[in-house]
Amino acid sequence: MDPDTLESRLLSLLTSVAPDIEPQNLDPARALREQVDFDSMDTLHFAAAVSKTFGIDIAETEYARLASLRAAEAFVRERLAAKG
Amino acid sequence: MELEFRLPSLGADMESATLTEWLKKPGERVRHGEPLVTVETTKGLIDIESYEDAEVLEQLVQPGSKVAVGTALARLEVQGASQAPPAAPAPEATPPPAPMGPLAPASRPPASAVESPGTPPPRARISPAARRRAQELGVSLEELERFAAGGFVHIEDVEKLAAQRPVAHTDARGAMRATIGAAMARAKREIPHYYLAHAVDFAPAREWLARHNATLPVQDRLIEAVLITKAVALAAARIEGFNGYFLHGRFESSAAVHVGAAIAVRGGGLVAPALLDADRKDLPTLMRDFSALVTRVRAGHLRSGEFTAATITVTSLGAEGVDVLFPIINPPQVAIVGAGAVREQPWVRDGELIARPVLTLALAADHRVTDGRAGARLLRAIADLLAQPQAL
Repeated sequence: MDPDTLESRLLSLLTSVAPDIEPQNLDPARALREQVDFDSMDTLHFAAAVSKTFGIDIAETEYARLASLRAAEAFVRERLAAKG
Repeated sequence: MELEFRLPSLGADMESATLTEWLKKPGERVRHGEPLVTVETTKGLIDIESYEDAEVLEQLVQPGSKVAVGTALARLEVQGASQAPPAAPAPEATPPPAPMGPLAPASRPPASAVESPGTPPPRARISPAARRRAQELGVSLEELERFAAGGFVHIEDVEKLAAQRPVAHTDARGAMRATIGAAMARAKREIPHYYLAHAVDFAPAREWLARHNATLPVQDRLIEAVLITKAVALAAARIEGFNGYFLHGRFESSAAVHVGAAIAVRGGGLVAPALLDADRKDLPTLMRDFSALVTRVRAGHLRSGEFTAATITVTSLGAEGVDVLFPIINPPQVAIVGAGAVREQPWVRDGELIARPVLTLALAADHRVTDGRAGARLLRAIADLLAQPQAL
């Protein structure tokens, strides 16, 4: 995988906040909560990492947009585009 | 004064552990509360903290050795008077837990509880997933370290290494399941549980939390579990009979409130390490401790003090949960509070039917210590605290 793609950057953020998941088995389209038992603390850690890395604000009500890797990718792309 | 540093019991059912790494060499000094050695148990890797300011004289057990609870691991030279009993109890058929044992939890240095999320322990060169896979495949840590030659070991490396040789299969998840099974069987055998449930209007807590979080960057926000934990801690400090241990045939109340937070381990299993002095910490501090605890659970690397300290436990299935969770007491504790999922439900207020987010709390408590009346007071106190979240 190209290390610079948005998906692989998100994947590496995900494994940094949840080092106990096995990324090669992850389906990017499936919800993290279903797939790897993401709980509210994992969600917060992931949102914090995404917010910091990409310099974007994420409201509490927007955590749901990080539900899967694919969803997170679309969300970050949208926010980065809005930032210009 | 010279003394032996022994392997403490890190839970009612722990009989042995495998020493994985010395964190101090002979001749080095270790401070009170500082990790001295890492052991592997069925609950993962645990750093065992020294209960003395001391100098390491000699390591008596080498990495890779499996030793029983109570075994002398090292000889230490201690300056001045000993701060705690020098030895964990020798192993018996059922080793008694040492909840207030060699590690006085309240005196742990606070700095050790704070780590930023996502920062793995600095010396971990083997990823937790790789470590777990290694255990599953029966690959020893020494083999891995030889293979890695100082580099970082990923799960693929473990599989490569395992494929090169025939190995005995050990089952880490099976071991954790057996540990949980043993503790819960003991709870059900020895503790006459009684159960109470109480529905709480969670709207005030939720609205306060939304307002509080709205102004904060993501990493400083609070989660609902922290409010619930704080409310349980304050109620347990106020109402006698729920915070402490049942040991040697009687209840020993604890002045400090260390709340065990049940945290699911991915791939199956559960650990409940303690949030120390939860009743006395403000919400942001408690949140940081909680966050660091979850990070350490995810990295498979806890501290010994966290295992033995909890005086009461809170457990929750989170947003994916169900309405009510009837928990089982974690001995030698005498109470546990289960939090159901918060759901919109019909609620009557001032004669009117309205929709509210409702949290149902369930208490399991020890009938050798309290009766339902006291349990009801505890649940009502928690509910009252959650109705005034700004005061938590």
